[in-house]
Amino acid sequence: MRGKFALVTKIIFLGITTAILALLTESAFAQKQYVIGSFILIAALALNLVYFTSISVPFKFFLPGILFFIAFVIAPIFFTAQMSGYKYQTGNYLDKKAALEQVINLGAQPDSQGTTFDLTAGKNSANEYAILVSDITNDKYFISTQNKRVEVPKALAKFDANGVAIEAPDFKAISANVLATNDAYSKIHYMYEGKYYIAVQTQNSGGVFRQELSYSADTGVLTNTVTGATYVDNHRGNFAKVGTPSEILSPGWRAPVWFENYSRLVTDKKVRTPLVRVFIWTFSFALLSVLTTFALGLLLAIALNRKMRGRRVYRSILILPYAMPSVMSILIWAGMFDSDFGAVNSILHSHFHWFQNPSLARGIVLLVNLWLGFPYFYLICSGSLQAIPAELSEAAAIDGANPRQVFRKITLPLLLQILSPLLIASFAFNFNNFNIIYLLTGGGPTQTLNGEIAGATDILISYTYKIAFGSQSFQDFGLASAISVIIFLLVASISMYGLRRSKVMETFE
Amino acid sequence: MNKWVRENLWRHAVAIAVCLFSLFPLYLVILSSLKTSGSLQVGSFIPHEISLDNYRFLFHSPKTPYLLWFKNSIVISSVVALSSVFIGAASAFAFSRLKFKGKKLGIRLLLLVQMFPAVLAISAVYVIMERVYTFAPKIGLGSQGGLILVYLGGSMGVNIWLLKGFVDSIPVELDEAAKIDGATPVQTYWLIFLPLATPVLAVVCLLSFIGTFNEFILARLFLVEMNGRTIAVGLQQFIGGQYASNWGPFAAGSILASIPIVIIFLSLQRFIVNGLTAGSVKG
Repeated sequence: MRGKFALVTKIIFLGITTAILALLTESAFAQKQYVIGSFILIAALALNLVYFTSISVPFKFFLPGILFFIAFVIAPIFFTAQMSGYKYQTGNYLDKKAALEQVINLGAQPDSQGTTFDLTAGKNSANEYAILVSDITNDKYFISTQNKRVEVPKALAKFDANGVAIEAPDFKAISANVLATNDAYSKIHYMYEGKYYIAVQTQNSGGVFRQELSYSADTGVLTNTVTGATYVDNHRGNFAKVGTPSEILSPGWRAPVWFENYSRLVTDKKVRTPLVRVFIWTFSFALLSVLTTFALGLLLAIALNRKMRGRRVYRSILILPYAMPSVMSILIWAGMFDSDFGAVNSILHSHFHWFQNPSLARGIVLLVNLWLGFPYFYLICSGSLQAIPAELSEAAAIDGANPRQVFRKITLPLLLQILSPLLIASFAFNFNNFNIIYLLTGGGPTQTLNGEIAGATDILISYTYKIAFGSQSFQDFGLASAISVIIFLLVASISMYGLRRSKVMETFE
Repeated sequence: MNKWVRENLWRHAVAIAVCLFSLFPLYLVILSSLKTSGSLQVGSFIPHEISLDNYRFLFHSPKTPYLLWFKNSIVISSVVALSSVFIGAASAFAFSRLKFKGKKLGIRLLLLVQMFPAVLAISAVYVIMERVYTFAPKIGLGSQGGLILVYLGGSMGVNIWLLKGFVDSIPVELDEAAKIDGATPVQTYWLIFLPLATPVLAVVCLLSFIGTFNEFILARLFLVEMNGRTIAVGLQQFIGGQYASNWGPFAAGSILASIPIVIIFLSLQRFIVNGLTAGSVKG
C-alpha cells in the first residue's frame, strides 16, 4: 500500500515537472534560445531516465542538485570565462546579425528638407499594403506600394476635415484598430522618387528617406551609396571605414578578441593604473580585516576564558553584531557617518566629511568590518582555547613561565595552528566582501573628474561590479569577466592552500 | 580583594568596553527610531520623547510598502531554504553513505567551484537570465521566481557541504540494519534517514533562511519593482543617501527586520558555533 502511494506520488510529481520543462523547452526554441532550450530538454529526459529506471542509484540522489548546480553555478562560470574572450560592452552588445540589421536601419537618412506627409494606410485591389499619401503643400495625392506609385486625381479622392485624403479608387483603408495589432504595414519601404522612399512613422504620417548603406552578403562590404565610402568588418566587432579604421559604425556586435581583455589589464594604462591601486587596497583591506577581527576576538576570548560574573550577559551582547543581518548594520553605520545628519559628527560636534577623504573612508571601512567580524573570531577562539589541554600551560607554569610567556610560547602558536584554515578562509571572504564596500562607501571617494570609476575604497570585486553594471552609459562585460576569472584563480589558490593545511581533503582519502 | 582586582578587573574592563562598541550603533538606531524628528542627530543618550511615528510611517506610507517587502523576504527565503535543504539533503546523504565511482572527484569539484564567488559570475547570471526572460518572463530577469532559482543553484555547494558534515554525525548503525533487512538505498533514505535527520535538517534550513534573508546583490539586480523587493533591497533603496528625510522610518524598519533574524540566530547559537569551525556559515 505504501509502495503504491509512493509510486503514484512519484508519477504525478515527475509528470508535472516533465510537462513544465517540455513547455519551457518549446518556448525556448521558439525564441531561438537553443542552448538554454537544449539544457532544459536534457534535464527533462535525464529526470525521467533516472527516476523511472534503475540505471544509477547515486544519481537518484544527486540529479536535482546537479541540475541546479550546472545551471546556475557551472554554466555562469563557463560563460564568464567565455565572455572574457569577447569584446562585450556597451556598443558591442548584440550578435552580429542583429547589429548589421541595426546599422543598415540607421543608414536610412531623411531627405534634405526632412519632408513628411499625412497618409492613410490600407491595401490596394491586389491585396498589397498601400498608403494613400496627401502632399497637401503641393496639392498632390498618390497611392504608393512597395514597388509602384500611382497618382490620384484630386477629384477622385475623398478627404477628411483636415484635407487629408482618406478614400481613393483601388484603395481600401484599414481601420486604426487593425493597424494597432498588426504592424507589418509599417516595415515596408513605399515607393517615392528615385532612391527615396516613404517610411511610415505613425499610423497616419510618414517621412521621405533614402537608404545610404547597402550591404553585400557575398563580399561582406557595406557601401555608402551617397559618399561612396566602404566599410568592412574590422574583426573587433564593428564595421570600420576602409582607409580610416578609426571611423566605425554603431552599433557593433560582440566579437571574439581572445586574450585582449586580459592583455589590456597589463598594457592599457587606463585599466592598469586603477587596477593596481585597487588590488593593493583589496589585499591590505582583507589582511587588516582578518588581523583586527582576530586580535579583538582573541582578546575577548582570553578575557572571558574563566568563570566570572556576567559572562553570559557579555557573551549575548558581544555576538549581537554577528546576529544582526549585515545589510542592515552596514546601512546603519553608513548613516551614522553621514556628514550632515550622522550621529558621529553630532556627538563630536564636528562636521567631517568622513567619506570624502580617502584615508578616513578606508579607516571607517576597517572599523565597521571590525564591528561586524570580531564576534566570529571571539566565538571561534573561545571554543579553541577550551580545546587546548590545560596540562600544557600548567606544565609551563610549573617550569617558571609567567602567564605572558605561556601565552606567547604555547597558547598562541597552538591557536594559530588550529585556526590557520579559518584565518585563510576569512581572508578569502574579505577579499570578496562586496556588501560592506558597496553599501558603506559605494567604493568612494572617487575622482570622477577624469572619468575614473575606481574609488579609494573599491576592492576588486566592487570595482568589477562597477565595470559591468556601475554606469548607465558604459558597461564592459568582457573586461569585468576577465577580472572575475583572475580573482577566481587567486581566491581558489589561496583557499586550496588553506584547505590542504586544514587536512579537510584527507577525510575523503 | 587585591587578588580579585588583579585577576578580574581587566577582564571586565575589556568586556564592558567591547560591549559598548557592540551596542553603540544599535542603541542609537533604536533611539532614533523612537524620535519624532527625522534626523539621527543625538541630542542626548537618554530619550526625552518616545513616539511610534516612524513605525506608523513605515506601514502607511506608499513610499515604503514594508509589509509587502517583509512578505517577499519571508516567502523567498522560506522557499529557498526548504527546497535547497530538500534537494541538498539527498546529495549529502549520497556523499556520506553511498559508495560509488567518482565520489572523491565530485567532492573536490564541489569544493573548488564553491570558491568562485557568486558576485563574480553575476554578469553571466544576468545575461543568462535576460535570455530566459525572452521565453519565460516568470522565471527570467526581474522576477522573484528567477531569483529563487538562482539562489537555489548558488546555495547547493554550501548546503551540500554543510549537510554532509551533519549527516556524517548521524550514526550509521540504523541504516545498516535497514540494509540488512533488504531495504534499498532509496527506502533507507526516505523511511530511516529523513525522520532521523529532521532536527538537523531544520537547523540547516534556518541557517539557509538567514543567509537568503541577508542576500543583497542578486536581489538588487533582480527585483526592480517597488512592490516586489525584499526588505534588504527595499530599505537600501529607500534610504538611498537621503539620511535627512528618511532616517527615522529606516531605523524603525531595520530594527523590525532584524528582530526575527537575531532571535533565530541566538536560539541556534550552539549549532552555529559548531558549524563555524567547519567553515563560514553566515556572511
